Amino acid sequence: MLSNEIITADVINAATPKTKIEVKNLNFYYGESKALKDITLSLPERSVTAFIGPSGCGKSTLLRVFNRIYELYPKQRADGEVRLDGENILDRSQDLNLLRTKIGMVFQKPTPFPMSIYENIAFGIRLYEKLSKAEMDERVEQALKRAALWTEVKDKLDASGTSLSGGQQQRLCIARTVAVKPEVILLDEPCSALDPLSTARIEELIDELQADYTIVIVTHNMQQAARVSAQTAFMYLGELIEFDKTEKIFTSPREKRTQDYITGRFG
Amino acid sequence: MREREATVRRFALTDLIFRSVAKGSAILVLLILSGVAVSLVFGAWPALSKFGPAFLGTESWNPVTENFGALAPIYGTVVTSAIALLIAVPIGIGIAVFLTELCPRPLRRPIAIAVELLAGIPSIIYGIWGLFVFAPFLQRTVQPFIISAFHDVPVLNSLFAGPPYGIGMLTSALILAIMVLPFITSITKDVFDTVPTVLKESAYGVGCTTWEVMRRIVIPYTRVGIMGGVMLGLGRALGETMAVTFVIGNAHRVSASLFAPGTTISATIANEFTEADGEIYTSSLIALGLILFVMTFIILAAARAMLMRIERRAGA
Amino acid sequence: MSAASSSLYSRRKARNSVMMTLCVVAAGIGLAWLALILGALLWKGLAGLNLAVFTEMTPPPGEAGGLLNAIAGSVAMTVIAVAVGTPVGILAGTYMAEYGRFSKLTVVVRFINDILLSAPSIIIGLFIYELMVRPMGHFSALAGAVALAMLVIPVVVRTTEDMLNLVPNALREAGTAIGAPRWIVIRSVAYRAALSGIVTGVLLAVARISGETAPLLFTALSNQFWSSNLNAPMASLPVTIFQFALSPYEEWQQLAWTGALIITFTVLGLSIFARSLTGRRI
Repeated sequence: MLSNEIITADVINAATPKTKIEVKNLNFYYGESKALKDITLSLPERSVTAFIGPSGCGKSTLLRVFNRIYELYPKQRADGEVRLDGENILDRSQDLNLLRTKIGMVFQKPTPFPMSIYENIAFGIRLYEKLSKAEMDERVEQALKRAALWTEVKDKLDASGTSLSGGQQQRLCIARTVAVKPEVILLDEPCSALDPLSTARIEELIDELQADYTIVIVTHNMQQAARVSAQTAFMYLGELIEFDKTEKIFTSPREKRTQDYITGRFG
Repeated sequence: MREREATVRRFALTDLIFRSVAKGSAILVLLILSGVAVSLVFGAWPALSKFGPAFLGTESWNPVTENFGALAPIYGTVVTSAIALLIAVPIGIGIAVFLTELCPRPLRRPIAIAVELLAGIPSIIYGIWGLFVFAPFLQRTVQPFIISAFHDVPVLNSLFAGPPYGIGMLTSALILAIMVLPFITSITKDVFDTVPTVLKESAYGVGCTTWEVMRRIVIPYTRVGIMGGVMLGLGRALGETMAVTFVIGNAHRVSASLFAPGTTISATIANEFTEADGEIYTSSLIALGLILFVMTFIILAAARAMLMRIERRAGA
Repeated sequence: MSAASSSLYSRRKARNSVMMTLCVVAAGIGLAWLALILGALLWKGLAGLNLAVFTEMTPPPGEAGGLLNAIAGSVAMTVIAVAVGTPVGILAGTYMAEYGRFSKLTVVVRFINDILLSAPSIIIGLFIYELMVRPMGHFSALAGAVALAMLVIPVVVRTTEDMLNLVPNALREAGTAIGAPRWIVIRSVAYRAALSGIVTGVLLAVARISGETAPLLFTALSNQFWSSNLNAPMASLPVTIFQFALSPYEEWQQLAWTGALIITFTVLGLSIFARSLTGRRI
């Protein structure tokens, strides 16, 4: 009986990948104004999902609901359901710090903490794990390697995080995020402050990371969405207009508005 | 995972403690001000209940008969502060105009910094200079000249009546003017800097002279901010203790002559408090403190409200 | 240009020159006046500056001596005032910029704090007299130190709040996004980013209280002799200057000038150092 269930689950997984995050009837408010209207979608595990749309469409807002970072500010609230592995994270009993260890986030502008490169990584790990010096060294190295930064910084781990270039800083932030072993990584326009070369490196990195993590990326760059993501959600004025396989969205969208946006008629 | 949950619970507790301590400290700031008000009312109560409202209008200040009135110190405080502002405001605005429009660029920052540093010099320095350098100078040169010059002019001859002591109301006012000058200058300069460059450029664009730009555009635009700065200076002048105590002469009388010695609220407290014997004497001094507190509170609150208005506009 | 408009123009130009000249004159007067004060201070103060000032006690009338006990008293009370006032100020500023950034309480505290910042210091002296000296029955160094702490708090509150507000929100979000609770984000990220600014605030507070006389007059009083008893009156540099300057004795007056010079140098040095830390004016 038990083994049967597991087998069925595996069969389903092979056909349609397991859902990691499920959003149901989500509404979001900045004070009186409604920024997200009745959003419903499911994000599959271990793949890259892109949110696109003109600025102010709510794509970043939606991303910020997933780790409830909006709670830092008053008068911002969400209702509806966001299920992570079936558990509603909007539930009041949800511990926010715990949620954020499971769902990491990388921001538009690189945000290295005002401390050394080593400490930038160790800071997050130390919060929830007690490690020996050797174990910590190991974890830091691992994280920096994962973010393809190790070779560039291994000789200057004591240097300040802010001394790195913009692209390196952003990879440091990715390393910092993967160091705490999250399940989901949210990327909020991670390349918008970077030059094309650094952008290409980050995109390569995203491609590698999807083997282990569920990745959600917000981007204003449609080529980027097409390059990195498996499925794409097009949002407009707080509504989810269309959500489908990336290939489908960019070649034969169902909605006229999606078509107009990706062909550059507005935005 | 269980370990993480224990950590999370510990975090929540520490966060609550830290938050509460921080909030408590913020509330302590409010408690300090209310503590000041309550303790002053409490200390002043014996005198206020004995003399009633007449305390404000009585000139007599007699420790022997224990008959006290606040008129002379209030008069001295108001007159010295008013004259100080009369002198310091035009000069302060003049310096601010100089700094924003006329001063050669490389000199701007050094002079602005110098002005701000001077605002930090303790008042006792101004007091000691006033007593040993400025007052004797006035006594020897300026005062005899003015007294003889206005001897036959009505009004002015009573305003500048002899003998030239050197110390007195006018000397105090002049010292106060120097003291508040850096304040007024640096605030005025700051609010001048909030004027959008495009506004000034468009005024120059229609052919205004520098003075017209200042007079018609910059000063009206920053009026509220300048007023705030002036009020802040006034608050400081009213409460200024040491600089005045040295040079006012500590005489409890209301005199028409600006050359006569007088007193201010803070100078009276500073001079007499430790020597005051008897409950009523001490209490009367604290009552003076209460009056000063109320005066400065109103002025400073108005000043802050005005400066907040201009800050909001600059931020928007 | 018609004759009328050209005469109007020359009148406007003339008025402009007059007013601008007046502004230059105002700047000249103001700066010269302040220079005169500093000049006199240097001239008179340097005349009495020697080693004895720092090694000998305040003398009885008519004798030579130094300011050792007064300087030590000032240092002691300043240290206690900073030790008491700084944590309170930093915590209050932290509440205002972090936990309570959007709360009504913060608006009220900021307003009240700004009033405390420029309230007459003699009033603080009266407050501490009522709060400590009268119940205890005697003047004490401790009361003086608490009075000074009351002046430290608003300065530190103001600069801490301002400096924390300059820390980009993105940095706080990043710390939060990694799973750190608010207080760790504040301690490890916000404080670190604002450190030099907060230190500047503390230094400016020290500069502010090192010359304060009025709040000490009837709290710490003064003391002719060396005293290390915090529960007894203690000498301080400003109060000693006040007493000596108003005395008829020449030696005392000279010491007052020298003391004034020492205070001025201390205050200016502290402010310049504090400003150089942030490279930004506060």
